[in-house]
Amino acid sequence: MIRLLLILLIVAATGCAVQGTPFEKAQSRSNEQVVYVYRPYSYFGSLLKPAVTCGDESARIGPGGYHAFVIPAGKVACSVESTENADEVDIHPDAPVHYIREEIPPGILTGHPHLNPIDHDVAQTEIQSCCAAEQ
Amino acid sequence: MRFRLPAFAMLLAFSFAGCAPQQPYVVTPQIDDAKAPAVVGDASSAEVPPTASVRALPYKGRLVEGDPTELPPAIASALSKDAPLTFTYREELTHDEYHIPTIVTAFDPVTYLGAPLGDYAVTASATLTISEGNRTIADYTARARVSKSWNVYSEPKHSELERAAREEVRKRIEQRLYADADRVAHSSVAPAPSLPE
Repeated sequence: MIRLLLILLIVAATGCAVQGTPFEKAQSRSNEQVVYVYRPYSYFGSLLKPAVTCGDESARIGPGGYHAFVIPAGKVACSVESTENADEVDIHPDAPVHYIREEIPPGILTGHPHLNPIDHDVAQTEIQSCCAAEQ
Repeated sequence: MRFRLPAFAMLLAFSFAGCAPQQPYVVTPQIDDAKAPAVVGDASSAEVPPTASVRALPYKGRLVEGDPTELPPAIASALSKDAPLTFTYREELTHDEYHIPTIVTAFDPVTYLGAPLGDYAVTASATLTISEGNRTIADYTARARVSKSWNVYSEPKHSELERAAREEVRKRIEQRLYADADRVAHSSVAPAPSLPE
């Protein structure tokens, strides 16, 4: 009985992670930019999948997942909203590729999604080791 | 042994509840716009002063690199398509973030009393080069760092911090521009007539 409970506990703790293909670079044209939004696995808030919007495109990213927004080059805002908070990042067209890490730490009654712009050197390592493509 | 099974069952229930979608909770976001973020220059701390009116520079120039909508106001007001001087403006942001591990904050009662959970910081670096043909007349660099801590009741939006950092670094570039304006005006071959201040 205890073994069964332990197995269930392990499944519960790890079963929410995104399953998919490992990170690969998105193709874009010269008049487009790519915004990678990735969410390293964290048990807290792991079933929360708030919609992340970049320009006109939206995606819900699970824990351990990422989404590549291929959007027209230019100034655009990426945002996420929950019932308790909202976060927003301005994307400037000074670089063709941008990385944003989504995190959902606990809030008052529900998780608070945050969008953290991450510098390229850190983000490239993190996204390759943490995240699979959101299906 | 009698208490182990309920303990495991509670742990399991907690575990599943942690994974479950949360109930919607309608609350106006408590983002504290009133408090100005801490602004740090190269080494010193400073509050963001209110926006000053734009003082005209005694010369004009063409923008050859940079976003015309993202310039220090003094440069934006000195743009002219047929001026002999050229402006090259670059701005770059780097981000720092620190947070206390969630495993600690989630179970710490002071979290729900509003204790800081972390800190966001944005550092803006800007470079402005004024040239005439192949000759560089002036080269200015500036750096500004804006940081703000957050808690469960008050979280700054990243875009607000980025805007504050950009505004601050542009202000610092402008201060150097104004301090050096007469030299640049005299250095150019055909300086524009002095504009009334």
